[in-house]
Amino acid sequence: MFKFQFNSVADFFAMGIYGFYVWVAYGAFFAVILWNWWQPRMERRRIVRLLRARGERQQEQQGGNATSATQQQSAQQ
Amino acid sequence: MMQWLYKLGSPRHFYEMTTGFIPWLAGVSVLLLIIGLVWGLGFAPPDYQMGDNFRIIYIHVPIATGGIGAYVMMALMAAMYMVWNIKMADIVAKVCAPVGAAYCMAGLITGAFWGKPTWGTYWMWDAKLTSYLILFFLFVGVMALRAAFDSENASSKAASVLAIVGVVNVPIIYYSVEWWNTLHQGASKLSLRDGAANPPEIWVPAFFTGFAVIGLYFLAVIMRSRNEILYRERRAQWVQDLLKTELANV
Repeated sequence: MFKFQFNSVADFFAMGIYGFYVWVAYGAFFAVILWNWWQPRMERRRIVRLLRARGERQQEQQGGNATSATQQQSAQQ
Repeated sequence: MMQWLYKLGSPRHFYEMTTGFIPWLAGVSVLLLIIGLVWGLGFAPPDYQMGDNFRIIYIHVPIATGGIGAYVMMALMAAMYMVWNIKMADIVAKVCAPVGAAYCMAGLITGAFWGKPTWGTYWMWDAKLTSYLILFFLFVGVMALRAAFDSENASSKAASVLAIVGVVNVPIIYYSVEWWNTLHQGASKLSLRDGAANPPEIWVPAFFTGFAVIGLYFLAVIMRSRNEILYRERRAQWVQDLLKTELANV
C-alpha cells in the first residue's frame, strides 16, 4: 500500500505521459488555494489601515479631545 | 450548543471566537493536504485505464464538490438573512461568493485538464459541465449584484434573492449524470475490498484532500468574514479598541 510508484524524480515529474495535464491541474489548484489565503490577509491590512487613518483624522479635527471618534460619529447620524 | 450558535450570530462574538481558531484550522488543513497529496501523487497505484492522469481526481473531486457546497451554504445563509434578518448570516453569505467562485474555477480547470487525455477534449457542452459553468456564473452574478447598489441593505437583499433562486441549479448539477447521457461519469462506488473496482489504496488519499479542501474553505470564509465584520462594525467601540491593541501593528 505504501510503495512509491515511480522509479526516479524525473519519472515522478513525467507522470507517465500525463505530466503536462497533471501539473497544470495541480498548478491551478494551488493558485486558487493560495489566493484564498492571501487575498483576505491583504484585505485585512487594507481595512485596518483605512480605519486607523479615519480615526486619526477625526482626532485631529477634535484637537486631541478625549471624546472618542466613535461617539462623535454616532452623534452625527 | 444553542447558546454557542446564538453567540456566533453576533458579529463581535464571531470575531472574538474565531481569533484563536484560525491557526489551528490552517495547520490541520495544510497537514491533511500534504498527507493526501504526497499519498495521492506518489504512493497510490496508477489507474489501469487512466494511468497517472487519474491523480488529478484527488484535487478535482474535492474542489469541484466544494464549489457546490459553497453555493448551498451561501443560499442557506441568504435565506437566514431574509427570514430572520441576521446580520452575521448576510456577512457569511457575502464572503461565500468569492471563495465559491474560486473553487468553481479550480474545479473547471482541473476537470478540463483531466478531460483532455481521458475524453479527448478540454470542454464539451455536456449537461454536467454546462450546469457547473452556470454555477460559476451564478457566483459571479451574486457578486456583481451586491456591488451594483449603493445601499448595503438593498445590495444584501438583492444578492440574497438571486442566491436563493439559483439553488435550483444544484440538483441539476447533481442529477445531470443520471437524467441525461453525459460525458461526465457518475460518482464512483468505493469499496473496502482489495482488488475491487476502487480499493482503499485508491480512495483513502482523497479523504485527506477532501477534508483539507473543506478546512481551507472554512478558513477562507472565516478570514473574509472577520474583515467584513471589522468594516461593518467600524463605528463600534470594540473595533476602535482592537485598532489600538491587537490590530495596532497590522
